[in-house]
Amino acid sequence: MPSLSGPRGGQWRGLDRLSRDPAFVARASAEFPQLAAALAAPRDRRSVLKLMAAGLALAGLGGCDDGAPDGVLIPPVLPPADAVSGGSDLFATASVVGGYANGILVRHVNGRPIKVEGNPAHPASLGGTSAIGQAEILGFYDPDRSRGLIRNGEPQAWSVLLTVLAEQREALKRFHGEGFRVLTGATTSPTTARQIAALKEAYPAMQWHRWEPVSRDAVRAGALLAYGQPVELVPKLDAVDLLLAIDSDLFDGAPGHLRFARNFATRRNPTRTGRMNRAYAIEPTPTLTGVAADHRFIAGPRDLARIVPALAAAVAGGDQPADMPAWFAPLVGDLKASHGRSFVHIGPDQPATAHALVHAMNEALGGRGQTYELIEPVEADPVDHAASLRALIADMNAGQVATLVIIDSNPVFTAPGFAEALAHVGTSMTLADGPTETAAKTHWNLPARHAFEDWTDARAYDGTVTLLQPQAQPLYDGISPHYLLALFAGPEEVNSRDAVRQTHGLNDQQWHDALATGLVAGTQAAPSTVALKPVHSPAGAASEEITLLVRPDPHIRDGRYANNAWLQELPRPLTKLTWDNPLLVSPAIAGRLGLANGDRVTVTNGEAGVTLPAWIMPGQAPDCVVALLGFGRTDVGMVGQGVGFDVYPLTAGSGLVSLHKASGHDELACTEHHDPIFADAGDYVHHGTLAAFKNDPNFLGKPTAQPQEYNLKPAGPAAWGMSIDLNACIGCNACVVACMAENNIPVVGKQQVIHEREMHWLRIDRYYEGSAEAPDMLFQPMLCQHCERAPCEIVCPVGATVHDEEGLNVMVYNRCVGTRFCSNNCPYKVRRFNYFAFAAEERRPPIARNPEVTVRARGVMEKCTFCLQRIAAARIDADAANRPVGADEVQTACQAACPTQAFTFGNMAEGGQVVERKKSPLTYAVLDDQDTKPRVTYEARMRNAGPGAGA
Amino acid sequence: MTPFDPVALAGSNNPDMTDHVSGIALRSRAFAWWRIAIVLPAVLTGVLIGSILYLFYAGVGIWGIDWPVAWGFAIINYVWWIAIASGGTFISALFFLTRSEWRNSINRIAESMTLFGAACAGIYPILHLGRPWFFYWLFPYPNTMGLWPQFRSPLLWDFFAILTYVTSSVVFWYLGLLPDLATLRDRATTRGKQVAYGVMALGFRGTSGQWRHYRALYGVLAAIMAPLVCSVHSIVGLDFAGAATVGWHSTMYPPFFIFGAFLSGFAMVLLLIMPMRRLLRLERYITGRHLDVLGRLLLTSSLFVGYAYIMDAFNTYYGGEKAEITMYQEKLFGTYAGIYWATILFNVLLPQLLWFRAIRLNQLVVALISIGVIVGMWCERFTIVVVSLHRPHLPSSYGLYHATIWDWLTMMGTVGFFVFGILLIVRFIPVISMFEMREILAPRRP
Repeated sequence: MPSLSGPRGGQWRGLDRLSRDPAFVARASAEFPQLAAALAAPRDRRSVLKLMAAGLALAGLGGCDDGAPDGVLIPPVLPPADAVSGGSDLFATASVVGGYANGILVRHVNGRPIKVEGNPAHPASLGGTSAIGQAEILGFYDPDRSRGLIRNGEPQAWSVLLTVLAEQREALKRFHGEGFRVLTGATTSPTTARQIAALKEAYPAMQWHRWEPVSRDAVRAGALLAYGQPVELVPKLDAVDLLLAIDSDLFDGAPGHLRFARNFATRRNPTRTGRMNRAYAIEPTPTLTGVAADHRFIAGPRDLARIVPALAAAVAGGDQPADMPAWFAPLVGDLKASHGRSFVHIGPDQPATAHALVHAMNEALGGRGQTYELIEPVEADPVDHAASLRALIADMNAGQVATLVIIDSNPVFTAPGFAEALAHVGTSMTLADGPTETAAKTHWNLPARHAFEDWTDARAYDGTVTLLQPQAQPLYDGISPHYLLALFAGPEEVNSRDAVRQTHGLNDQQWHDALATGLVAGTQAAPSTVALKPVHSPAGAASEEITLLVRPDPHIRDGRYANNAWLQELPRPLTKLTWDNPLLVSPAIAGRLGLANGDRVTVTNGEAGVTLPAWIMPGQAPDCVVALLGFGRTDVGMVGQGVGFDVYPLTAGSGLVSLHKASGHDELACTEHHDPIFADAGDYVHHGTLAAFKNDPNFLGKPTAQPQEYNLKPAGPAAWGMSIDLNACIGCNACVVACMAENNIPVVGKQQVIHEREMHWLRIDRYYEGSAEAPDMLFQPMLCQHCERAPCEIVCPVGATVHDEEGLNVMVYNRCVGTRFCSNNCPYKVRRFNYFAFAAEERRPPIARNPEVTVRARGVMEKCTFCLQRIAAARIDADAANRPVGADEVQTACQAACPTQAFTFGNMAEGGQVVERKKSPLTYAVLDDQDTKPRVTYEARMRNAGPGAGA
Repeated sequence: MTPFDPVALAGSNNPDMTDHVSGIALRSRAFAWWRIAIVLPAVLTGVLIGSILYLFYAGVGIWGIDWPVAWGFAIINYVWWIAIASGGTFISALFFLTRSEWRNSINRIAESMTLFGAACAGIYPILHLGRPWFFYWLFPYPNTMGLWPQFRSPLLWDFFAILTYVTSSVVFWYLGLLPDLATLRDRATTRGKQVAYGVMALGFRGTSGQWRHYRALYGVLAAIMAPLVCSVHSIVGLDFAGAATVGWHSTMYPPFFIFGAFLSGFAMVLLLIMPMRRLLRLERYITGRHLDVLGRLLLTSSLFVGYAYIMDAFNTYYGGEKAEITMYQEKLFGTYAGIYWATILFNVLLPQLLWFRAIRLNQLVVALISIGVIVGMWCERFTIVVVSLHRPHLPSSYGLYHATIWDWLTMMGTVGFFVFGILLIVRFIPVISMFEMREILAPRRP
């Protein structure tokens, strides 16, 4: 906690002032010898920005206090003098998205958090991570994060805040909290809930509003309709034989999605499960769930409004309406046949009535207790967010809000109309860990600590209480929400660790166990026994020519990760777009309006309209367009500022949606440049049906052995190999970010992506097969294949890429002169070239990098190393113990991050899982005819086609 | 002007020829046209230097190369220039060995073309490197790192081939110049020129002993150069054929590249001698005979190149490999199809006009055809490098290529440098090999 007594010495107004501070310069030059010289030299704008990144990171030094409660936190920049590099440590915490926790572990090297790993003990992730979770570490080191408190644009001392809060307490007490409002995002934190309950006790008239732009209101309202109380659904996908996903976010956004993906994937590979599950998806626009499904049926929002009630009626035993699509009857038949083993899931963008119908369907299918459970809501004091915010805005406009505290929410950006209402508020305060549009508009802008800097708690999808503990001393001056809320309640400065501990009342042993595992054992919610109420089918929805769907961006979500360059440059799973959010239009609409990718369109929803580029989305329902939230932020930091288009205004409109072609064309940064529709994607992504597999497990054919003129088997003690199960891969991109984080892979920016120079060592190839209207979609992670007969090696004139004796294709950066011949000769095109000094130009403090991995210079080729640094660490351990490296001892970053365990890696000389997997009859090598003998093989994707549903 | 003209018009003789040719080099004041013509090439040479400096400062990212098209203008231009250079050697060395008399009056310009063509070509492989300051790592020199280059890489063979070729071209050119430099030394009227040419002539005085050694050495060098021109271009071909890359992996490449070298070499020689004979009043020594012979050679090599294009198609479809066929279709009908068809038009179709004698002697048409061939050869290299690379095996790595202003500036810079060099030769060096002309001309005035 920052000491609030006395003036703060660590604040500064500009880099120039800082650079004149002899103490700072001395400290900085000790850390970065070049910096002092650079500070003294004249600068152009570009180098100033670079210096700012470094300088601001260093400024964090000044912000560090030494008041850590137990004195065990190590500041991330200056290591203790006697610290010796001793491998890495892992500490549990969580990544919280939409209020729900996914357990993670943070890897520390020399006391610096450098990498996020999965927490195998955590029920929401089972050791997997999401792309967002992996990218949190970059957010932690973000030089744009808030620092120092600001009142009306002027920096203030913390003591001023204390004085103001004391006055506030007086005023609030006098009016029993009348006019006192707290606005937060969705939260499951028991400590926050407890503190707000305490506030309510002190100020009975205060109100707590909630606003989460990626709304789950329909989920809650649907449960209310079906059960009369807000229950939460906990699917148990490992027990599900038949999954029906209706516009579902089961694998990409739903709380617990990592767990669901894992459970689903464990029953997808017929060589390892005798009971392969089957999945149907009905959806207007492709989702990861739909791509993973065996059958993907396209239904626009209008169709869904008809189909869902019909489905519910048919499942309940009613008659099938006549005007249903051909797949309807077989689907109903299949659902009924799997009674007790089936599960229907519907996404949060569907109306509450549809959710209620799905609840009824699930009850009718007899899955409750088998394939899913109902539990008490995990969210603290669940409310309808939209209504809650509407009420707040109304009260603000009516002048009834005297004090507004906004925590972890950005309504000025995400809620049209909020900014105007804010003018009528007496005192407004934002607590945020980075610049936000809201923070800039409120009277007070309080810097929050990053989740890696402070204590808090959150609950997982199943209610498990998860503890978040600080990973390092705060980089910048900031406070925790618990500290702020406590100061509203009383004058004592509360330590957030004590606050969290007090909430859970754990004894020392329990507390330490909870910190070690990241969760409080046995806190998952008990199954609810509430009974279903009769659910009525709603009347058919209004019909419109074009429907507008507003969805969160897969990686930026509602915009809160907009300043995270890893996520911005992460190719979106299906469109492979980076740094932009064009309007996704169906091929039918594109044909009608004569649109090509990048052509500008104007989409209007009632009064509101936005002009933005269009992108043709194969497999999207003909009548629908999708706008992606989160882009176009105006106050977020240098990475996300002005990237993409703000579509939040569209959420305010109500009325007819219209779409017109506008003039203009934007160049969009897509990482795939091929004509997207293929008839022969199967040549690269082998696939087949379960029926064919059962008939003959080798039906895909064994690779024909090519005559070998010479075959030099690497003779080393280990043989590294990888197997990737395409049945498990859902295309979520977690591995790609993990790879960037682990291997210091630079971000190159939108222009360089347009220039086809992205640096991802691991990419997920996406192929379409079939027609543009309803293609099959296939994912294939593509990384260096570590060919035994590598074409790259023989063409390098200086021997900069060579084979090691353990079968690794290694890249000697220091030896590379940059002929790029290796890249030309790589059939898989997995090599990446530093056309510029990408790493040096990154806005990322050097301390954020993985110290075990070389940062590559300009003019050097790079590529996947199979995480050689991890292999080396295991080798050292094994050598010390005088034993060979174990078969499954090394986990690559991609493998560790994968929520579905699609990757298997290991020392094939010792047997182990990878050897087992490679024996699978589904195993194949990509571009087998090139005879490169890759060490990476894939398991072909199997589809479990339903009866009579067609292929 | 007829194709049956002698290699020097009737009445030509040694004293007149020597007076005329050495007079050009020894003029105290350059021709007015020369002073105008040198400006643009000089500026472009400056542009070349500027763009190279910026390249070293900023990195190869300033070019249009990307992923998957990791090779671009640098390699295209390298192959283009080395082919132009090779054509010159072909004329000066191979036709020396066959004792073709017509070669004597144009071999100096052909060799000079080689010299500057090879110079333009030679800088590209270094500029092309991501870290050009380490280019010498390709050389097998003893070093503290204990490392050798990787001898299996075609790029290494290429490094040796270019090094050998450039070195021997310079030596061959300079050696062929010695007797004429001695002539200039003897005829120079100012002290400065006497000293300059005297130093360059390396003491050549024309004694019978010197001539005996000289002829032996020249013959040997010519005998080395003739196969060298084939080997250097074969190895350039192997830069591509040695890779397993789609569109490159073909045994046809070495001869195919030699055909291309002849084609562009002959075209460039034609392009140079036609204005030169007019501006320097050399019609007497460069006659219809030369135009006719070079026209026929151009036509022949064009047919060779056409044959290679046909075999390229045949191999692709007969081989039946999917990625090859996809790439070939893309070459014919895709984004860069215009460049492929320009190649066919300029390299194969247009030169067919040279079947007609009247056209072979029509200097304007021949010049246009020659320019067409030179452009066509550039297009061919663009197709080989860029079009092949932009359609690799996996569709996920398909890409495009867009040249940047720096690609064009560097390329135009080398064009300017080439012309600049040729203009310097024209100004200061005898443009016709006088001592070789003396072998075929009448010894004295009639």
